Amino acid sequence: MTAWRLGLALALVFAVLLLAPGLVAPQSPLALDPARALQAPSAAHWFGTDDVGRDVFSRVVHGTRITLGLVTFSLLLSLLIGGGLGVVAGFAGGWFDLGLARLADMVQTFPPIIAGVMITGVLGPGAANLVLALSVIYLPSFFRIGRSAALAEAQLTYVEAARAAGFGEASILLRQVLPNTLPVLVLNFVIIFPLALQIEAALGFLGLGVVPPMPDWGAILEQGKNFILVAWWVSLWPGVFVLASALAMTLLGHGLRARLGR
Amino acid sequence: MPGDIVGQMLGQTGTDRAAEQALRGFFGLDRPLWRQFGDWVGATLTGDLGRSWYQGRAVWTMVWEAFLVTAELASATLVLATLVGVPLGVVAGIVHGSRLDAAIQGFNLVGLSAPVFWLGLMLLVGASAVLDWSPPFAWSGPTEDLEDNISILVLPVLSLAVLQAAAYGQFVRGLMVEELGRDYIRAARAKGMTPFDIHFRHALANVMVPLVTFMGLVLIQILGGVVIIESLFSLPGLGRLILSGIQGRDYPVVQGALFFVVLIATTVNLGVDLLYGLLDPRLKP
Repeated sequence: MTAWRLGLALALVFAVLLLAPGLVAPQSPLALDPARALQAPSAAHWFGTDDVGRDVFSRVVHGTRITLGLVTFSLLLSLLIGGGLGVVAGFAGGWFDLGLARLADMVQTFPPIIAGVMITGVLGPGAANLVLALSVIYLPSFFRIGRSAALAEAQLTYVEAARAAGFGEASILLRQVLPNTLPVLVLNFVIIFPLALQIEAALGFLGLGVVPPMPDWGAILEQGKNFILVAWWVSLWPGVFVLASALAMTLLGHGLRARLGR
Repeated sequence: MPGDIVGQMLGQTGTDRAAEQALRGFFGLDRPLWRQFGDWVGATLTGDLGRSWYQGRAVWTMVWEAFLVTAELASATLVLATLVGVPLGVVAGIVHGSRLDAAIQGFNLVGLSAPVFWLGLMLLVGASAVLDWSPPFAWSGPTEDLEDNISILVLPVLSLAVLQAAAYGQFVRGLMVEELGRDYIRAARAKGMTPFDIHFRHALANVMVPLVTFMGLVLIQILGGVVIIESLFSLPGLGRLILSGIQGRDYPVVQGALFFVVLIATTVNLGVDLLYGLLDPRLKP
């Protein structure tokens, strides 16, 4: 599986960039140097400089933590809340299940990017609103996965056996069903990640993401758009980073799916 | 809801309570939320989407004009993506495991991972550097100036179509591989049927039903993609209308445009369901 190895290697590189950006790019991502504005890539500035003389390499590398960090955090929220509610709904059934399922349908009527533009547009830009938007958009996906996994688990003999042995419903749900649904929820996290990343970058590009001068990949791309024909390098690299990290997660997703036999 | 149109209009001039009250009353923002929404639903049911708070134009007209732009962009993208993506997927499925298959899968993966707006920007740079060509700045409809219309749409359509062609390629490849592994295909091979007939008369025919569903999904995906690509290339379509409406807190415009988008998405889904019956007689009620 060379594709799986490529995915793992890329993911490792991005993990290093996310945890220790300063090691790879010692220059400040925020320091202005107007005398060196819009310089083409060189030995001193590998990815060139932007319109206020900031080092693009440093901005893109430090942007890893912002962009991938925000996506990871948002999807973890979706997984915990959406997946948790889904598992409980699938296991418990009844009106609780029905109501939540209809609510999930409603959120999913809107194409994700339109829902994202609506939420961040109304609440205003900023990291907190971005996280809120991303986690709400992908809640239904985790809810569905968790729900169907719990429904399938609830039919199995071990649940029946646990009931016969006198375990309480809450104990069966928390200690036996929940752990068994985790693998599919994690798989869904990996599969959704590249999609959520595209939405995050798009919202940053529309000026609805984090507030400048935070080095977010989508925001750097947007900044470069204004002088794209003069200095293509400002927009080129953040896009390459989005592409590479999305590719890494897609490959990991394919590999995981094959390993989990789904 | 933080910040409404009144706040934006009076933002510069400080706090004038009387003016604020008057304007809220004028726009109906002083009523409870459920009344505002109820009135909007009531008016919409009679076919009245209201007027823009900024331009005073009928929302219905604005949405329709924007829809025509988006419809042209989306249908051109759908046609191009289908014409490129489906054959790619079919070929990859037939020769799966080969180098050609690996190359097509490589294209699919990269196409699915590249941000649409980034691709648009890079195409813009490439066209300017290599061909010394840039698209016109101002929008002109196909009936006004067809040549300008086509030149302004080329790059947006290309950047949207790459992603969707890759999505098609991956999906169709999977379907073909699965179909070609079935027993009836083996039987057809054993009795000496030509590969052409096996691939195109049997396998492809059976792949058509899920393919149509997927086409509906792709169309809805394109509707989402136009939001970004329209703002990048300054096309006056539905996506830009929604974005500018939200930024200006022009609620009638936002509600009208969103209503329209959701209506289109629902219609597409319904159309797909109806097509099923035509493509697969077994699914007829």
